[in-house]
Amino acid sequence: MATGADQAVGFGLVGFSLLLFTYYTIWVIVLPFVDSDHVIHSYFLPREYSVILPGVAALILLLFVGTFIGVVTWKNRKPKKSD
Amino acid sequence: MTKLLEWLLGVSLIGMAWGLVTFDLLDLQLPPQYRELAWPMPVYLLVAFGCYSLATVGYRVATFNDCEDAAKELQAQIKAAKADLKKKGLKM
Repeated sequence: MATGADQAVGFGLVGFSLLLFTYYTIWVIVLPFVDSDHVIHSYFLPREYSVILPGVAALILLLFVGTFIGVVTWKNRKPKKSD
Repeated sequence: MTKLLEWLLGVSLIGMAWGLVTFDLLDLQLPPQYRELAWPMPVYLLVAFGCYSLATVGYRVATFNDCEDAAKELQAQIKAAKADLKKKGLKM
């Protein structure tokens, strides 16, 4: 088994993704079948946000990846050799 | 039939089924809860796949075996190589 920080980070990722999956599953799959006056609805945003928020997150991720590639490419540009 | 064609066929069949339910193209008059359930499905499946990937990566990071002996041996070899190269004149 890995030790220390590796284990903490690894199991932290597992726990986070389980939480995220459970919350999102309840939001998308369970809530339509629950009466609209049940108290559980107060813990969830309106349904549109279940599509908008992942979309925004994906855009932000693309932005980060693109910026990273841009910065690394810019740093590694070499001056052209003139013969 | 290539794998790509198989996947494209499968994806387009599922996509058509989703489109039919979400936009009610056949006037099936499904109960409203099932229509509410259907329209976020592509995003839901993507998020579910992302969570599964994240969990798999995290789990494999946590359970990856440390090889103490191999690590020590490698460090010793690095030291020996550095000493050898320095002797032969390579500047570190």
